[in-house]
Amino acid sequence: MNLVRSELLKIRTTNTWWIFALITLPLWALTLLINWLQADALTSNNMGELSAEQAAQFEAAASPDALSSNLFTTGQFFGLLIVMLLGIIVVTSEFFHQTVTTTFLTSPHRTAVMVAKLVAAGVLALLFWLVTTALNLVAGSAVLNAVGVDSQLGNDAAWRAIGLNLLAYLLWAVFGVGIGVLIRSQIGATVTGILLYLGGSIGAIFVIAILADRWGDWINNLQLLVPSLASSLMVTGADIPGNPPRWAGAAVLIGYAVVTGVVGTLLMRRRDIS
Amino acid sequence: MTDGQRSPTSDGQIVVSGLTKQYKNVRAVNDLSFTVEPGRVTGFLGPNGAGKTTTLRMLLNLVTPTAGTATISGHRYADLADPLRHVGAILEASSAHKGRTGINHLRVICAAAGLPRERADAALELVGLTPAAKRKFKGYSLGMKQRLGIAAAMLGDPRVLILDEPANGLDPEGIRWMRGFLKNLAHEGRTVLVSSHLLSEMQLLADDVVIIAAGQLVRQGPVEQVLGSMAQGARVRVRTPQAEALTTALKAQSATVDTDEHGVLLVSGVDAPAIGRAALAAGVELHELTTERPDLERVFLELTAGKAGIR
Repeated sequence: MNLVRSELLKIRTTNTWWIFALITLPLWALTLLINWLQADALTSNNMGELSAEQAAQFEAAASPDALSSNLFTTGQFFGLLIVMLLGIIVVTSEFFHQTVTTTFLTSPHRTAVMVAKLVAAGVLALLFWLVTTALNLVAGSAVLNAVGVDSQLGNDAAWRAIGLNLLAYLLWAVFGVGIGVLIRSQIGATVTGILLYLGGSIGAIFVIAILADRWGDWINNLQLLVPSLASSLMVTGADIPGNPPRWAGAAVLIGYAVVTGVVGTLLMRRRDIS
Repeated sequence: MTDGQRSPTSDGQIVVSGLTKQYKNVRAVNDLSFTVEPGRVTGFLGPNGAGKTTTLRMLLNLVTPTAGTATISGHRYADLADPLRHVGAILEASSAHKGRTGINHLRVICAAAGLPRERADAALELVGLTPAAKRKFKGYSLGMKQRLGIAAAMLGDPRVLILDEPANGLDPEGIRWMRGFLKNLAHEGRTVLVSSHLLSEMQLLADDVVIIAAGQLVRQGPVEQVLGSMAQGARVRVRTPQAEALTTALKAQSATVDTDEHGVLLVSGVDAPAIGRAALAAGVELHELTTERPDLERVFLELTAGKAGIR
């Protein structure tokens, strides 16, 4: 408990957290705009000629469940990136500023220190989720009203998406801590994290699309293995036909978080600090 | 005598035993054993790369030894119930987040160690850093950083202090302050282990020395004893225009006389007054007569000769 307090104090006594919060805000606003336009398009019903399969996909995406789930998790794409970067920095700043010696002198039980770091990163993720969700509930309801759907504040599917969104935030924070341990260089870890998140998902979509063309549609299910795609799948409000089920996305993400968290902790236990 | 059989307390004693660290290509520390006693300042000396820092880091559970043990008050560092209340350590000058204020740096440590946050203010006061408490670490001078490191080490009011090159970056005033500070701590009965390569400073500060080279123990003991064990007592520098005549006269008194490259006579086996009398009797003119005390630097260089440098 002392260690968690200390880790949170470490975060609070530097600029990092509010700079990241300031970066998150305009990115959230941008996603809100995109989601609004998308919701508007989905509900205006002038999509032209569609195949039966596409029509089914659209119908699912335009359902109040899907619309509200999407809007109430606005900012997820960049929010998860930010939370992951914060998780990375919780670890790498100790090496960057050479404070890791002091940290491990103060508490030689490294596993406890790592658990405290994971918890602290999780608390940070929770706060980011809390603020974003509060904003989403206000702005999302307004958008839903504007496109002619009720605010959906009583919609179970929407709340499930909000809950799963929290899970995604927590898992990405854990994921970030794991990356930070694996790559101690602050710049190296940050760049790797961003590439993995942005480049990884875009590249994976490309590669998977090409492979699916060649070997068949089942390859599409592999997108599940890309962490950022798995987390966006996890929070879609309804099962979209042709996509893997949502629980699978959650399982994959939890798997990644557990593996990076445990491997990171084991590495840190053994490592010489010099 | 019936209740006088209590075992000698190991409180505050540091025991290093057979400590070895093998890196990929280098044996940084090789079967090193020594003890450090409470109530004294112990200087830990060795050329650059001798393994001082690796030894201290193994003692503090930061580096895992390949073999051997290092204990403080009979426990490995990791097994101490309350490490910060028992051991204070300063390992490198710049070990704080650059964007964090000095006081917050200490508060973070207090929080982790379960110490009341008021200890942070007290520790800053102790090292005279209170005016800079709310300044960020990046604005600190090297000397201020060292003082903040000492404040961090003193947070838990520890019985044992371990310092790696604490005089680095300190100005003469700072060095004098540090000397008084550490001597005072030892006087209070604490164990003080200081690594350094500043030998003249160590001679002023240390009661005991542990000298290592190439990862191995070279000599351990009280400073006076280590000095005495080396040179055969004092040596006297004599300058004279009549070197041959004086040499003959001194050799008659069974003194050993060497000549250095400037023609200065280095005499041992007799003291300065005896040399003066011999010169007077022989009618030899003297230009200099200086007793050279063996100092730590000379002893150190003799002891570590050929073992320094890149391994």
